[in-house]
Amino acid sequence: MKSEARIAYLFAMPWILGFLTFLLYPVLASFFYSFTDFSVLRPPRFIGIENYKEMVQDEVFWMTIRNTFTYVVAAVPLSATVAILLAMLLNTKVKGLAFYRTLFYVPSLVPMVALGILWLWIFNGEHGLLNMSLEKLGMSKPPNWLGDPAWSKVTLVMIAMWGSGNAMVIYLAGLQDIPQSLYEAADLDGARLVAKTRHVTLPMLSPVILFNVIMGMIGSLQVFAVPYVMFPNGAPARSTYFFTTYLFDNAFRFQRMGYASAMGWVLFLITLTLTFVALRMSERQVHYDRS
Amino acid sequence: MPVNIRTIAISAAALGVLGYLVYRSEDATTRKPVANKVTVLYWEKWTGDEAQKMRRIVNNFNASQDRIFVKMLSISGVADKTLLAASGGNPPDVAGLWDTQMTQFKDAGALTDLAPLAKEFGIKEEDYIPGYWKLMSPGGTLVAFPTTPASTALHINKKFLKPGEEPPKTLEDLDAFTDRISKVNNGKVELAGFLPAEPGWWNWGWGYWFGGKLIDGDKLTVNSPENIRAFEWVLSYSKRFGVRETQNFQSGFGNFSSPQNPFMSEKVASVMQGVWMANFIDLYNKELPWIAVPFPLPKDKQHLKGMNFIAMDTLVIPTGAKHKREAFEFIAFVQRQDQMELLCSTHGKNSPLVKVSEKFFNTHLNPYIRLFDELARSPNAAYIPQIGIWPQMDSELKNAFTEINLGTKTPKEALDAAQARLEPQWRRYQQQVMNKSITTAEAQP
Amino acid sequence: MKAQKFSTATVHIVLIVMSLIFVSPLLWMVTTAIKPIEETMTATPTLLPSKFLWDNFPKAVTYGSKELGYIPFLLYARNTLMVTLLCVAGSVCSNAVVAYAFARLRWPGRDAFFAVTLATMMVPFPVLMVPTFGLFKYLGWVGSFRPLWVPAFFGSAFSIFLLRQFFRTIPMELSEAAKIDGCSEVRIFTDVLLPLAKPALAVVALFTFMGTWNDFMGPMIYLSDQETFTLSLGLQAYQSQHGGTQWNLLMAAATVVILPVIVVFFFAQKMFIQGIATSGLKG
Repeated sequence: MKSEARIAYLFAMPWILGFLTFLLYPVLASFFYSFTDFSVLRPPRFIGIENYKEMVQDEVFWMTIRNTFTYVVAAVPLSATVAILLAMLLNTKVKGLAFYRTLFYVPSLVPMVALGILWLWIFNGEHGLLNMSLEKLGMSKPPNWLGDPAWSKVTLVMIAMWGSGNAMVIYLAGLQDIPQSLYEAADLDGARLVAKTRHVTLPMLSPVILFNVIMGMIGSLQVFAVPYVMFPNGAPARSTYFFTTYLFDNAFRFQRMGYASAMGWVLFLITLTLTFVALRMSERQVHYDRS
Repeated sequence: MPVNIRTIAISAAALGVLGYLVYRSEDATTRKPVANKVTVLYWEKWTGDEAQKMRRIVNNFNASQDRIFVKMLSISGVADKTLLAASGGNPPDVAGLWDTQMTQFKDAGALTDLAPLAKEFGIKEEDYIPGYWKLMSPGGTLVAFPTTPASTALHINKKFLKPGEEPPKTLEDLDAFTDRISKVNNGKVELAGFLPAEPGWWNWGWGYWFGGKLIDGDKLTVNSPENIRAFEWVLSYSKRFGVRETQNFQSGFGNFSSPQNPFMSEKVASVMQGVWMANFIDLYNKELPWIAVPFPLPKDKQHLKGMNFIAMDTLVIPTGAKHKREAFEFIAFVQRQDQMELLCSTHGKNSPLVKVSEKFFNTHLNPYIRLFDELARSPNAAYIPQIGIWPQMDSELKNAFTEINLGTKTPKEALDAAQARLEPQWRRYQQQVMNKSITTAEAQP
Repeated sequence: MKAQKFSTATVHIVLIVMSLIFVSPLLWMVTTAIKPIEETMTATPTLLPSKFLWDNFPKAVTYGSKELGYIPFLLYARNTLMVTLLCVAGSVCSNAVVAYAFARLRWPGRDAFFAVTLATMMVPFPVLMVPTFGLFKYLGWVGSFRPLWVPAFFGSAFSIFLLRQFFRTIPMELSEAAKIDGCSEVRIFTDVLLPLAKPALAVVALFTFMGTWNDFMGPMIYLSDQETFTLSLGLQAYQSQHGGTQWNLLMAAATVVILPVIVVFFFAQKMFIQGIATSGLKG
């Protein structure tokens, strides 16, 4: 027993070291920084809770919180639905599975530098691929996806769905793990597709859904690269200014690392709370029947 | 294949060797010295063609002497990278940045005070056009030298002027010109005489045409009556065509540097642009008949004659650079009249120096180069406010500009809001960044 | 043995439509890559080029080509490959070892530490960024590859979680039998469990590979010498400040950059899915 523990610590050592160095230290340090004023070149100077006090009064901060929550609430369920639907379609054992699977996964692989400009071309209000298609379909005044504050967030939510390939792969694996016998039993009961989906597929998939939704939520709360590249300054009218983009602007553009650290900590607490709530709420819905 | 201890041991050993090699090879890739010369590392924001033209100057320098070798690299995101590298203790010796960052970087302690070196090399304030000297020395500290400067003027597509018609002399003339020639068809804008939002690079500065300022000494004057009046004027344009219509019209504009640039593609008949515009017209629509005139002022502000925006690209020596003297030797070389004129003429810019050769004017690609030179020298020329919170101010003003044009806020509301947000930021900045007497916590880690 | 009954034709139609939508950005990227530069900038873009300029590809990846010296593509490819391989090697080695300790060994503090490990997945990247930069700066590693690959040798929470779940699905009896045969824990790990864990390790390797290959933030923050740039960072060099970007060449280079990743994914996906399925991301 004693020697097992000794060996175990040895095995766990890389992570213990990694955890202390690359996680615990930075987390604690940034907690300290959140009470200071500093920039890349200036050493931190302790200023108490000034940063937090400022945050409470910072309208733009609250605006980014609202924008971020709106985005999370729209993007997470939507991409989850798309990903599950795609996974279910692929799970029907169609021919060319590998091919389709790659195609669905591919958008998650296109480098950001290229992707940003491709989206700008696709969503351009006047000559974009999307609006040209919509006009052909008979829509007389398609929305100005990029320039209208009412639509800019919708654009980003749509873009998020292109990234559902990653989650789809995991759902697909989860689906393949559901024992066929359950479907056969349902067939015997004469269950139709909808009923089978409701009573067999979704419950059996629920742990995977929970996992993906939580990971998706954590990721969406930190949404950064696409809006940063596509909508500089959160344009139009800060409708696409998100928590992390504002945080980055504070850290690098405005040279306010202390304030940025405080924002980071707030985001950490929000993430922890939401994850906890999600786990709590899902306790009854998620089935872990195989230990 | 079963995995056994031997396989593990062999892979571990191989990995170790690989890791060691990588570890070592890195030291080799950074700054290989060129045969007994001091290597000056020069990071430049320019890429492509512009970078190639700068490279000619670098080559001239390298050929001119045998002690120093300047190694020029094009770096994207050069400003952030320079700051990070400076804090990492390994900055370049020279960095090519923008004038807009000088004050913030100087306040952050990222730039070397160049006054002693300038004195040693005999470079004086009198050598430079006063406006540019101001940009080189934010708050009175000389931290930057120009590569290429610029001034701005109204560019008009001559097709839209009646034969013999005078170009707009006042802002009211420009409005009338717009009213006369703009075309709106079925709610779709097809041609605009003028559009304040195009190209959008000076959206922060319309107040200056009305005698306004963004800072006055130490005070922020974002919501001054002049600035509000300027934004009312801006708003009159999106009202003229309709908010939504203007928006759609603009989203059809191509990139600045493309034949679909709205001026080149004749969607906008006149535009405020810098001295470089001639280069781009030459590149994308040679046939376009154009003239450049001073951008008109409102009738009641004619005394501001010569008002235009000047700007420049800068060379700086970051704090912690290893070869400051050698770096400055290179900068001084760029400041030589012959080299400066070579660089500025290939970039299609005017010269920042007081002394300009006739040859420069006569061979310059821009037929209006004398006008731009004159504008640069005007005592009324304006430039980006030299304030350390410029990035925040820029962000607020951009946002105000959009809100006003979308009609979500009136000019007064938007500018009041910007002023209200900037004031505490400015106070904090003055306290936290500019006042260095407060005790400093220990550096981390 | 159909799991659900859709008509095959319907499924195919839906899948084809969906994959067209999904693949449209990529498609456009590739067709833009072979367009003449004028056509990449027209206000009314077309999907297909008027003429196919295949030599945009060699042009984009040749250093110092004609008027515009872009990026030393091969050098960047070598840098990227080196960093990526080191990260893959590091994460496969370290995560397996650590996950084994969490899944199969008993030691005081294990469950609490595991919970903390899971919680670290919730730490937003920006929280870590600034102090981590300070740390590497202190070590004098800024400007080298080390900040990019050294952490991979210390494990990551997500991979540890994945592998732990996998190890737990292997019956304990297997280890016990080996122990009776006189195997040490190390032997059990290397000879019994690791061979079984190949699919799960493949998932970890793949995730790491794709994450590192496309990583932009890390190289952007830590690499300063242009000769050490990775491909994802190098791509930025095609974009110039005031327009004038050679979109066709940028897209050509981007296509070349993601090609290896798509190929790797296409051929590895079976194992990939299997690995995820068997490890079961379940409580």
